[in-house]
Amino acid sequence: METMATELVIDDAALADSIELAPEEPSLPLGEWVRKNLFSSLFNTALTLAFAAFVVGAMRVLLNFVFSDERQWVAIATNLKLMLTQGYPENQYVRIWVSVAIIVVLIGLSIGVRTRTGGVSLKRISIWFVSFGSGILVAGVVAGIRPRFLLVGAILLAIGAAIWYGFGEVRRRGTFIPTNAMIYGGFALLLLSLWVVPYGHYAFKDGEFIAESGRTVANTTKQPWTVMWVLSLVAFFAARPILAFLGTKFKVLLGLLWVLAPYVIVWVVLRDPALDWDHVWSTDIPMALAFAALGGAVIYALTKPGLGEIGRVLAALLLGVAVFHFVAAFFGWYPMLQKARISFFLLALVAMAAPNFAGDRKNRLRLVYFWVGLTALVHYMATMANTASTVKIQTDFFLGGLTLSLFIAVTTILLSFPLGVLLALGRTSTLPIFRVMSTAYIETIRGVPLITILFFFSIILNLFLPSGMEISETAAIVTGFSLFSAAYLAENVRGGLQSIRRGQFEAADAMGLTTAQRTGFIVLPQALRVSIPPLVGQVIATFKETSLVAIVGGFDLLRIANNVIPAQSEFLGAKLEGLLVVSLFYWVGAFSMSKYSQKLERDLGVGER
Amino acid sequence: MTDISMTAGMSDELAARSDMIVSDQVDKWYGDFQALKGVSATIKEQEVVVVLGPSGSGKSTWIRCINRLEQHQGGHIIVDGVELTNDVRNIEKIRSEVGMVFQQFNLFPHLTVLDNVTLAPKWVKKQSKDQANSKAMELLEQMGIPEQAEKYPGQLSGGQQQRVAIARSLAMEPRVMLFDEPTSALDPEMIKEVLDVMKDLAKSGMTMIVVTHEMGFAREVADRIIFMEAGEIVEVGTPEHFFTNPEEDRTKLFLSQIL
Repeated sequence: METMATELVIDDAALADSIELAPEEPSLPLGEWVRKNLFSSLFNTALTLAFAAFVVGAMRVLLNFVFSDERQWVAIATNLKLMLTQGYPENQYVRIWVSVAIIVVLIGLSIGVRTRTGGVSLKRISIWFVSFGSGILVAGVVAGIRPRFLLVGAILLAIGAAIWYGFGEVRRRGTFIPTNAMIYGGFALLLLSLWVVPYGHYAFKDGEFIAESGRTVANTTKQPWTVMWVLSLVAFFAARPILAFLGTKFKVLLGLLWVLAPYVIVWVVLRDPALDWDHVWSTDIPMALAFAALGGAVIYALTKPGLGEIGRVLAALLLGVAVFHFVAAFFGWYPMLQKARISFFLLALVAMAAPNFAGDRKNRLRLVYFWVGLTALVHYMATMANTASTVKIQTDFFLGGLTLSLFIAVTTILLSFPLGVLLALGRTSTLPIFRVMSTAYIETIRGVPLITILFFFSIILNLFLPSGMEISETAAIVTGFSLFSAAYLAENVRGGLQSIRRGQFEAADAMGLTTAQRTGFIVLPQALRVSIPPLVGQVIATFKETSLVAIVGGFDLLRIANNVIPAQSEFLGAKLEGLLVVSLFYWVGAFSMSKYSQKLERDLGVGER
Repeated sequence: MTDISMTAGMSDELAARSDMIVSDQVDKWYGDFQALKGVSATIKEQEVVVVLGPSGSGKSTWIRCINRLEQHQGGHIIVDGVELTNDVRNIEKIRSEVGMVFQQFNLFPHLTVLDNVTLAPKWVKKQSKDQANSKAMELLEQMGIPEQAEKYPGQLSGGQQQRVAIARSLAMEPRVMLFDEPTSALDPEMIKEVLDVMKDLAKSGMTMIVVTHEMGFAREVADRIIFMEAGEIVEVGTPEHFFTNPEEDRTKLFLSQIL
């Protein structure tokens, strides 16, 4: 153990600044690499040949499928808008573009402020070009000679070779192209292709099918995307000066903006809620202010150092009041807005936890700010969710296609994550009541198929709820997904919790940390890091399971590809194309998440070997 | 039950000091196995006590009972006038006065050295960040490792990690320090640096209970040595008495095996 620890002492300079990347390792000559890795033994040779034959065969099937004359790819090109936004009215598209703009600007700022930027060596880029080029060349041959393939393959191969031989051994390994430049450059090339290739000559516009050049609808795509690219690039370059001006506060602000963005995008930009301003001014805002003030005062008082027993009694009392409000609502004893009940409940929870996380006065104030922020968010969400949208839509869901899939995936992950962590903590708690409740919940939910839960929430739930507590279709579905996903997340987190060594608990106890502090500062951070791989697995599963929303009436990406497009008179039966595109979409999403999680694991693993 | 007096082996000067820890007939079972059999001893203020004994003799269990990492089932433990009971407030009070250093260091691997040291002062003692940081740097200076403050525990050697662990305990300004085989997991060349720090600590007047196999340390630093075997205290005495003139046969046997 000792020697391991000393060997792994990491150079300070390397930690502080990773922009100066070390040159890549020198590689074996091609012939030697092939001999060593592919043909080292008789068995290895046989494996290599068998696998190569399989790959070539699979490629042939796939390429012949994709490039067959029977394929109607025009069905996809025409229905792209449908697949992305389904029934969202075209005259309101500007709302979608504003949403996209918010996200790309935030992305630009976030990439811009990063101090550690990676890069890709010329050697690697050359290898990419060579392997991609030769792949296309082989494809051109196995799929039946296609001259265009051969040409493209040859050009890519030539570029790769030019980079390889043009720069020489040392510069090839030591020159790095920044990742940011590659990302923006890559998107620039994609955009350029939008302007050059007439992708968008086909569409349904006002119910009419357009398939002639000259009547293009591509302008609704390529111009906005170009604007988005420019916005993001401007944000990228603006990030550093802003950071220099505002200091580290800017990073906090940026994090806050990321947290707020989904709520603003979904509830304000996309829905354009028809707010009843009289009600807002007379009830909603005063109530939010009252809770913010009351809660702030309670929390500040309860976190007074040395308050002792009175604090615990008061917090327990608050919890009693909060629970009583829900009981009263169930029996209809007295009316109260749902968000007031939720606020009371949250206040009780925060009041119980707060004394554990209060340090000096600065920290106590920070807790008060946290409460004010939480109140603002909850009341804002409750008000927005209960206000009708002015955007006219055809189905019960105000979103459709890709936007619906993304909405459900993002909200489900955001909601189920905290719930899952709480359940995992409950199940490993020493208090029997928490343990029994969490275990019962997890085992019940895991024993029921997701489809059943979705049916229950979309149809039956509102019949059970007393009047005044019903929830909208979209909210009900998201709730169902979240509750389901939380049970699985909980089990993943529990695995992480169990991997924490006893000594960590003992050290925390010996220092006098309370159970909540031990959990929050010592156990959870380590457990979550260990759980990243299974957690990401669950996130990916959730992302793909969103397609089940079709069963309860939503028009998501998969349903459009499977049912809607093949039913259009122009493209009768064109189903396989859509399914392939949808698979590709899901794969890209899932693969990016997987890659990101690997990066996260590396970043969080600093010094923990 | 042993019939050794609670103040055995004390000089008059030592006996006159006030009691820091009183362990009175402490019993502890793991299922049917009795790990502690009526362990009685008094540790005085500013005293350094070394606990010796073969493995499995209950020495670690005993000192782990003193800050409630293990729960004793019979007898009384009184630390600085507060008795350890199931009352959470007493446990909190005692833990804030008793620091502990473990065989396996048990540093928090996801926090930097500085954060390891300042965590408890900030959240348990409610100190401000600046206050906790300056105290922590002072302690790391004392341990001879101020330049490691921003590193993670995994980047340090075992000896450095154990010194961080000592600094982490001292940051809570404890009145008693418990050491549970602090050098047993270290490579030989690193044992000395940790023992030196502990010697300095003893000289500064800290009350210490040290479970160890380092006979040199026991001979040089201890006011008294407690020898335990099979869950009971067999013999208590000053280092001279213990190493030159032990009375009990079991003590003699133990010494003949290790010296």
